Amino acid sequence: MVKKKKTLQETSAIAGPIVVGETISGDDLRARLEEIKSCQGVIGYILRNANTASIDLDDPAKIIDYAVLSSLAFDVSRDFSQLFDLGELENAIFCGKNIKMLSITIGQNRISIFTEKDTDLEKILMKLHTS
Amino acid sequence: MENGVYSFALKNTLIEIQRICPDVKNAFVFREDGEIVAGDENTTQETVVRAIDAIDGMLEKGEATGGVENIVFEGNKGRLNVSHINDFYLVTVTSKGADTNYVNTVTHVLVPTVLKLLEKINPAPLKTNLDNVQTEPEDLAIKHAVEPLEELAEEVETLEDEELVETGAKPESEGESIVPEAPVNQFIVENIGGLLVSGDTVRIDNDILLQWNELYEDRKIEEAEIETFGGKSTRCKLKAIKDSKYEGKGIIQMPEKIQNALGIRKGELVRVKPVIE
Repeated sequence: MVKKKKTLQETSAIAGPIVVGETISGDDLRARLEEIKSCQGVIGYILRNANTASIDLDDPAKIIDYAVLSSLAFDVSRDFSQLFDLGELENAIFCGKNIKMLSITIGQNRISIFTEKDTDLEKILMKLHTS
Repeated sequence: MENGVYSFALKNTLIEIQRICPDVKNAFVFREDGEIVAGDENTTQETVVRAIDAIDGMLEKGEATGGVENIVFEGNKGRLNVSHINDFYLVTVTSKGADTNYVNTVTHVLVPTVLKLLEKINPAPLKTNLDNVQTEPEDLAIKHAVEPLEELAEEVETLEDEELVETGAKPESEGESIVPEAPVNQFIVENIGGLLVSGDTVRIDNDILLQWNELYEDRKIEEAEIETFGGKSTRCKLKAIKDSKYEGKGIIQMPEKIQNALGIRKGELVRVKPVIE
């Protein structure tokens, strides 16, 4: 019985996809992102919705590059979803030679989190999901 | 033709990957410059072109941020993975429940291994073949231009000819020495059928035919010798590909009759050289 409970706990701890359309307030989301931003290896984030955009990046010189990359990730996701019947985007992960980017949609909010190359994105995803 | 070999080998690799991992629904490979190298049988070229168009900007921007290693798009119905391997991008689309670790292990072992092998084999590319052949007549032309200046040599030649006439021996054929060796190209076999298709005629790129015709200006190239890698060969009539979708892909359209005679089928590689008569 104990063993079974442990398994369930383990299952719930695995980072699942963010449910698209999940109701979460902008402030709450921003607070979660601020917490994630303070984690080791996290370079910054971009949060966008229909009305506002928040950008918090360590290196302001790269804001444009990262903003374009983030925007492209969502556009490409939409195109690929139509081309290959991938369904609704749960997340997109870009692994570069220097950085990683995790892009997800939560409700009306589009979020891209930038990290150093060796950062574990599963943990970031879990934090975003369970904070 | 280098592309043809890469395309042939990689296409078969992708098909094998799909056999090993049935969860891989689509797979294709393209170069960094956007050129399609190979695709599986499930993915239309139009889809591949649109996919490359879609991701092109992201790859460019990714390069600007230091380079791309891998991109994953995870949807609630499936997952698309773009992997940067050497100078190529491998795209695989898997169904939702696919074992991604297994798929990644298979693709990241097979594709780089095949690429490495291809690099080692390094078949002579078409352009290089033709360039080499084309330099021969030029070299000969230079020699012929120098010869008239060497009066002594000319005299010797005349004397030799006279001697040959006296002895009744045949002089070396003047024409033969300036005919370059027939270039050998490799093509991937594609089916051709229909009521108006001649059973003894194969079709190749018009560009290749033009190159051959340029090479042998004074001769008409109407036939080609086709040789399989198994050693079988045949001679057949030659025409240009009509269907634009097969142009520029290193394809030879071949009637079933010839394929049967050679013991080959669609997708296999053959060597083709023009018959010069």
